[in-house]
Amino acid sequence: MFPSTQRTYETNIRLPLSFILFGVVAFVASEAILLFSGTSLVQGAFRIPAVWGAIHLAVLGWALMVAMGAMYQLVPVVFLTPIWNETLGFVQFFITTLGVLALSISFLLEMKFVFFAGLLLTLGFVLFFLQMVMTLKNQPIKNMMTLFVSTALFCLLLTVFLGMALSFHFFSGSEIADHLLMLKTHLLFGLTGWFTLLIIGFSYKMVPMFSLAHGFSMTLARYVYTIYVGGLAITFFSFLTNHSTLFTGGMGLLFLGFSLFSYHITTILRKRVKKKLDRPFLFALFAIAIALCLHAIAFLFAVVGNTASFGVMIYGYLFGWIILSIIGYLYKIVPFLWWTHRYSKKIGKENVPTLKQMINEKWIVFSFGLFLVSLIGVILALVISNLPLFYIAQSGMIAFSLLLAGTIISVLWK
Amino acid sequence: MELKEIVMEQLRTVYDPELGINVVDLGLIYDLRVNDGIVSIVMTLTTPGCPLHDSIVGGVKRALTHLKGIKDVDVQITWNPPWTPARMSEGALKQLGFL
Repeated sequence: MFPSTQRTYETNIRLPLSFILFGVVAFVASEAILLFSGTSLVQGAFRIPAVWGAIHLAVLGWALMVAMGAMYQLVPVVFLTPIWNETLGFVQFFITTLGVLALSISFLLEMKFVFFAGLLLTLGFVLFFLQMVMTLKNQPIKNMMTLFVSTALFCLLLTVFLGMALSFHFFSGSEIADHLLMLKTHLLFGLTGWFTLLIIGFSYKMVPMFSLAHGFSMTLARYVYTIYVGGLAITFFSFLTNHSTLFTGGMGLLFLGFSLFSYHITTILRKRVKKKLDRPFLFALFAIAIALCLHAIAFLFAVVGNTASFGVMIYGYLFGWIILSIIGYLYKIVPFLWWTHRYSKKIGKENVPTLKQMINEKWIVFSFGLFLVSLIGVILALVISNLPLFYIAQSGMIAFSLLLAGTIISVLWK
Repeated sequence: MELKEIVMEQLRTVYDPELGINVVDLGLIYDLRVNDGIVSIVMTLTTPGCPLHDSIVGGVKRALTHLKGIKDVDVQITWNPPWTPARMSEGALKQLGFL
């Protein structure tokens, strides 16, 4: 009468938790390093080793490690297939952690070592890529989410190889190809290719799951994918040809693709049963609104030919979209992981807390406010080159990172 | 009260920890049979690949195994027909702010 299945896809929680806890510590460290780089940052000098060290610690040590940890937990949920090899996951965690630490320290102390640290890191990423490809290969029925996540993984691989080539320039003193072209492509594929496509892909599972939305159409996702990936390709070609009209076209397509994604998410949310959404999830949704604004601004800047402001734009995109999305979903994922570890075997036998009770929502709301005020403060300080404002706002960001670490760790005591 | 009714009542103690609503009011129980102390349940979850799959299925088994007259509990998960909000009780819909 009812076709049944007994397949489960749970991952050993130590694997995602290892990545997440390392990421939280890396976030605090990166914010502290950025504070000490204030003098250079407010003068618009983003391309200095200390800033690179802090940014790579924030992007790789925090955002990417947390994203990888979350993927170890979410891929089985979203794609209904278990992680290919969990032992490889722990090996990959160990190698990637060493690589991130070595790379950040090399940026701060000796640029020539960046290449060797990059080699270690590349090994970690290649293992992660292999793990995910093998896992996705086993997915019984491929869907749009598979396409988003597979393309994101491909972009990650391109970003890593471009990063390796850039570090080789520092190591050898000679250029394989135009350094600026490679740097711009590294940023494009890393931020919009890897992170954005990944978050969009997972949002198509997380948004309906956390809002209990049913009966929505997924047709728009095809157009979102085609237009956004088209925008990525055209922007890349504009870098290759140094063609400003092509660049404007690429930015326009990225904006259009993201606008369509934002609209699609609102149509999904209209079909939700859960009317009062959890705060952390609302923050992840708020991040979509921020990214939409940033895509619009980037397009307008491209139209008027203002490329000088792209450094600040990239900072805003990284923190306001990528990091805020990750924080929002992290506040949902960590309580779930710890709840599963502590209470999964007690459900049905005794009263157990709900996932919402695992985390202090008041602190989350406060920390979100602190994050937003600090982010706006930092961006403003960078735009008007105001050092005192930068120090105040960046101190707020450090306080936020400590609050985040405290909130995450407090879950482990529940 | 019949054993089947007792079993259904006991299932109301098993909560989806994400939503804070029990599996009966969520409409997750598709079929429940009790024959010679053996309980057979066909149920679903709100979404395929639900990360709480094992927790909820295990919870259903644990909630019933200690009941008097129950020898064994068999729980089968199905995705066909898929769960829809129409299966939820009025109380559950109210709890989520839908009504």
